[in-house]
Amino acid sequence: MRWSVTMLVAAREVREAARSRWFGLAAACFLVLSLALALLGLAGAQRSGLAGFDRTTASLLHLVLVFVPLVTLSLGGLGLAGELEDQSLSMLLAQPVTRAEVYAGKYLGLLAAVGAAVLAGFGTTGALVGITAGGDVRAFGVLVLLTLLLAAATLAVGTLLSVALRSRARVIGAAFAVWLFLVYVSDLGTIGLAVARSLEPGQVFALALLNPVQQARVLGTLALTDRLDVLGPVGLFGRDQFGVAGLVGVLGAALVLFTAAPLAAGYALFRKAAVP
Amino acid sequence: MIDASDLRLTIDGRRILDGVSFRVERGESVALVGANGSGKTSILRCLLGLVPFTGRARIDGHDVVREPVAARARLGYVPQKAAFGDVRAVESLAFVARLRGADPGGIPGLLRLVGLAAHAGERVRTFSGGMQQRLALAVALLGDPPVLLLDEPSASLDAEGQHTLAAIVARLRADGRTLLLASHRREEVATLTDRVLRVDAGRLGRPAPGSGRVVALEERRGGRP
Repeated sequence: MRWSVTMLVAAREVREAARSRWFGLAAACFLVLSLALALLGLAGAQRSGLAGFDRTTASLLHLVLVFVPLVTLSLGGLGLAGELEDQSLSMLLAQPVTRAEVYAGKYLGLLAAVGAAVLAGFGTTGALVGITAGGDVRAFGVLVLLTLLLAAATLAVGTLLSVALRSRARVIGAAFAVWLFLVYVSDLGTIGLAVARSLEPGQVFALALLNPVQQARVLGTLALTDRLDVLGPVGLFGRDQFGVAGLVGVLGAALVLFTAAPLAAGYALFRKAAVP
Repeated sequence: MIDASDLRLTIDGRRILDGVSFRVERGESVALVGANGSGKTSILRCLLGLVPFTGRARIDGHDVVREPVAARARLGYVPQKAAFGDVRAVESLAFVARLRGADPGGIPGLLRLVGLAAHAGERVRTFSGGMQQRLALAVALLGDPPVLLLDEPSASLDAEGQHTLAAIVARLRADGRTLLLASHRREEVATLTDRVLRVDAGRLGRPAPGSGRVVALEERRGGRP
């Protein structure tokens, strides 16, 4: 695989994302919501005296866990499916490029576009909070990194959907269903299973490892506090089993795996796909 | 220059190509004719490596599956329906020029050649079908590839566009370019090609009656004779 060609494809993807109204709207929403949460946090800080970054980070974690998967699943899903549908992909693949270069370039380009939107949103928010309230900037930095990791994982799932379903309409439906599952249904399902089957904390912990949003939630909470009792028996199990540093390693590795596995599965399909 | 041997293609359980074999020599211009759905476009897609087929296809000695980059570096492709995404015409050309390692200095000349010089900075999505087709021809000519695959290139062109396209293709042919042209239009086939390969239900068949200057027909099923 030639890195220079991959980067060319990625750069084109970034340009197209920057021109996309849908992506622009999503980035603007992210910025506005981040700022709104920060301002609300600051208003609370003036009343309660809590440090600015901590409160803002806690608020933003919830925004990230809901908003980022929604945007990246859709964005990744629409990428290759849209080009397969309008046949522009055949124009690209008719050039002296390999499918690996195109696949990697498109993924990296979309990730860079999402990363830029996240950094713009969090950069603005961070500057505002830093200037007006101060506080522990470390947790905020961890949140930014965590957001990028979660975006990479859910973008990979979106890319897999895109290659597997090959149609914008089907991908949008599937992306929404996956988002609902990851963000809401999985939580409720885990709780339901835990109650109905009297699952051990270790089993619940294993279930949580199957969901990148849960992984990001625990990692984000760890960045804010080492009191994992806020996560209940599952958090305590993780801490007792692995220690805080080990838990970070396990969850980080799970997030990386959740990025690599769908990406590899998507490429396996894309490599052999008939391109109209 | 183009060497296809026993091409077989099945998509969703449907046999699209069934043992297609042919050769196109350097500097030759060959037409693929046949009814809609006969397999003309699928043959071109095999040569481009866009579909998973069995058999062997080589462009200038390079296997399109094992050496896709080398094979496609020698190919220019004008699809039936050109699509470019949300880019300006000149950006689209610049992008492909960089992919092909071609001199971007040739882009204005190519735009003039296809009659799009005045539209270089416009978004391709605002172009008519004919303009997009002409842009696709300019893209195909980037890097000066020795082989051109043209899939119904005049399908969405008006009379003037067809005339311009015919003039460009005639010039390319005179320059010694190897051309493989899928077309329904008899006058196009008659004036722009040396011989005809008729495709019928995924196989090469006999020459279409009245298909113009049919000089020869190759018919090799299931490999070379």
